[in-house]
Amino acid sequence: MSQPVILKSNPHGINLILDKTLPFAELKREILKKFKESDRFFRNAKIGLSFEGRQLTPEEEYDILELISQNTSIEIVCIIDKDELKDAFYAAKIKEFEENRAGKTGEFYKGTLRSGQVVECETSLIVLGDVNPGARIIAKGNIVVLGSLKGNAYAGAAGDETCFVAALDMDPVQIKIGSVIGRSADKGPLLAIKNRKKTMEPQIAVVMEDAILIEPIIKGLFKK
Amino acid sequence: MSEVIVITSGKGGVGKTTTTANVGAGLAQLNKKVVLIDTDIGLRNLDVVMGLENRIVYNLVDVVEGNCRIKQALIKDKKYPNLCLLPSAQTRDKSSVNPEQMKKLVDELREEYDYILLDCPAGIEQGFQNAIAAADRALVVTTPEVSAIRDADRIIGLLEANEINKTHLLVNRLRMDMVKRGDMMSIEDVHEILAIDLIGAVPDDEQIVISTNQGEPLVGSDSLAGQAYMNICHRLLGEEVPLLDLENKNGVWSKFVGLFKKN
Repeated sequence: MSQPVILKSNPHGINLILDKTLPFAELKREILKKFKESDRFFRNAKIGLSFEGRQLTPEEEYDILELISQNTSIEIVCIIDKDELKDAFYAAKIKEFEENRAGKTGEFYKGTLRSGQVVECETSLIVLGDVNPGARIIAKGNIVVLGSLKGNAYAGAAGDETCFVAALDMDPVQIKIGSVIGRSADKGPLLAIKNRKKTMEPQIAVVMEDAILIEPIIKGLFKK
Repeated sequence: MSEVIVITSGKGGVGKTTTTANVGAGLAQLNKKVVLIDTDIGLRNLDVVMGLENRIVYNLVDVVEGNCRIKQALIKDKKYPNLCLLPSAQTRDKSSVNPEQMKKLVDELREEYDYILLDCPAGIEQGFQNAIAAADRALVVTTPEVSAIRDADRIIGLLEANEINKTHLLVNRLRMDMVKRGDMMSIEDVHEILAIDLIGAVPDDEQIVISTNQGEPLVGSDSLAGQAYMNICHRLLGEEVPLLDLENKNGVWSKFVGLFKKN
């Protein structure tokens, strides 16, 4: 870091960006220098202060506050907590919660999805109808289509590759689970229509060794 | 009770304008008072297909902007006195009219006509929004081609989203010989994919090209397409008419007769 101490204003006050390596006594001198330089600008200001770049003990924080209030006319109203570790911890907790929720709860969509229509969902999704070519369904959890899946389906949209896509009639253009994409076989559109199955066979798509595996849902499949 | 029907397809060139002209003329033959509105502003051609281009003085945009009264802009058909056309403007674009203005215009026409047919432009933009704004029901025209069907599917979805729930499918330009060989989708295939009620199928008939070039709808003539369009008109009126046997005239006998005709 070229400057050991940087002052940066934010809507509530200023961020004090501190060097990680400098000994504390030296750092204090640098802070004092910085505030003296800009004392005219901050004259009698009431600000919130937040620390960045360095973990400070409560004593050190107190020291810095004393330093500022004794040597400048700035009044520090409060200290705004900005703890990256804590932030990351909370973010991880929230993500974990959402992922759990995505796999365990679901929403229903009733009706046929036609070309151009998109249904997005934070949890798992059950469609009571067909998904036509050109339509998309996206869910953070699993997808179940009680009808023909002829469009695009994207399960585990938050990245969970343990999700599945199941349909009573599986004939999708594309399936994506997590970051794995599978597409339909290359056949002309007319052939695809002419050769479509006359009977429904429920199938399920999962990720197996970085590829989408589709298998029929038969008795005993889930006992394995 | 008057009924407002929008004829739409999404994809261009599948026969919206031909269908509008023929269904309109057919309903007029069945003694209904009919007005056709060409909503394809900037690319008008319903007037050409009807052979009425030389009679245009005022157009749709003139009516909406108040440059003339509706009555002044309506053109009476050459053949059927109870059939009228409100032509589109050629020198303007789709943004000259908005959905509210279309609704108001159509509501005024409802008082005097039994059927108001709206010829919709291709696409799903403003022109489409204008055309469907005032419609009670829709005829979705498609050909048995995958691209047309994909667009029709999109259109049906958009119609549902705009709360037009009375939607019927018209399969146009069907070639039974190709269907038989398995080179073209059948009516059943199309019907199964789009899953809405079928109002009729019209064969690919060179008589259509001839009638368009002459500027006279062929509905009601004894050509296969003419019969098919007439049947569609009957079904629009709520009558039960069985589907025309399109293979009839493409059979061995007609080919045999055709041989003699050519010579």
